[in-house]
Amino acid sequence: MVESTNLEQIKIGKLRLIMLMKNIKQALEASVIAGEEILDTSFEHVYASDLMSDVLAFGKPNSILLTGLATQQAVISAHMAEFKGVVFVRGKLPKDGSRNFAINHQLVLLSSSMDMYDACIKIDSALHKRTKIKTTGSKESRNEEMVLCQEFEILGDDFTSAGVVSTEIKSILKKIGFDPKLIRRVAISTYEAELNVVMHANRAKVILSVTPYCIEVIVDDAGKGIPDIDLALQAGYTTATDEMRAMGFGSGMGLPNIKKNTDQLQIQSEVGKGTRLECKFFI
Amino acid sequence: MTLEQLCNKIDLKKMSQFTDKEINGVFVSDMISDVMAGAKSGNLWLTVQTHKSIVPAANLVDVSAVIITSGKQVPPETIELASKHDIAILSTDLPTFEIVGKLYAIGIQDS
Repeated sequence: MVESTNLEQIKIGKLRLIMLMKNIKQALEASVIAGEEILDTSFEHVYASDLMSDVLAFGKPNSILLTGLATQQAVISAHMAEFKGVVFVRGKLPKDGSRNFAINHQLVLLSSSMDMYDACIKIDSALHKRTKIKTTGSKESRNEEMVLCQEFEILGDDFTSAGVVSTEIKSILKKIGFDPKLIRRVAISTYEAELNVVMHANRAKVILSVTPYCIEVIVDDAGKGIPDIDLALQAGYTTATDEMRAMGFGSGMGLPNIKKNTDQLQIQSEVGKGTRLECKFFI
Repeated sequence: MTLEQLCNKIDLKKMSQFTDKEINGVFVSDMISDVMAGAKSGNLWLTVQTHKSIVPAANLVDVSAVIITSGKQVPPETIELASKHDIAILSTDLPTFEIVGKLYAIGIQDS
């Protein structure tokens, strides 16, 4: 039996990596027994044990349980210890009642054919890989210290749903526990950038990355580009339509407001190709 | 002053579901761009805009509540989204000028 593998090792200061159930499903090539619709749930720790008394005694809230005990007691224990899900290793499948219990209590149940040792190692390496992926193609090498890196997509034609990505980013940063004032600056800048995308571009990729020193939001769109960046940075300069202005947007304050709220802002733009915004916020 | 205390002093209709919050000053604007640039955390935001984009704006700027003035009808999707994100939406039949006067009279001032 393998002792507990705790992901706390990746904690740096107050920062914590957020991993999602679906990342675990992928890493362990697991099948989903329950909770297919809540695989986007995040968790903070992993606890590996076959002894439910240990789970109840030492398990931390918001963990996932790795176990070879395929009884309903495993699922109930996980629920009592406020875990987010259970992974059954060695290809075990839980008994009948477990699935219903999990569905009723919003737990994810996965089953993997790996043994406990391999499963722990796969999760560990997935964690480290995850901190490195999606940074390729960027000029700077910032892999080693990356604590969190997540990618989002904004679709450009839906004006009324603008704010979805920035709201999501705000709640991620809140969960990590940053200073509300810092979160507010990131949230406002991201929302302004998101509005620019829905007003002027077709779609954009947003990359949020967090290091121990800096939060960075990159918004890379495939829009029409900005012919004169200095002009666009002037307060009041706008190319918004009347419809946008009737809704209270487009008063030419977007980029100036982003500049005001970021510690470092880089804008690259090519007419006809798109615009890339790199906003840095120092912690 | 908190939102609950405010609602006890001034007749405001609670449109969304929200937890009580501390109020810190007032911001009046129908331009969302201005709200994003100028509103402070904890402000009451007074506006006649009712479309659902006011919710992410209110959420991201951390206003304590949005007060819809002049008896404007708030669409159900705005209210639904606000409740989901714990954003307080209050409404009044009074025009903006009059509600500002009342807020001032009960001692809410910009910080």
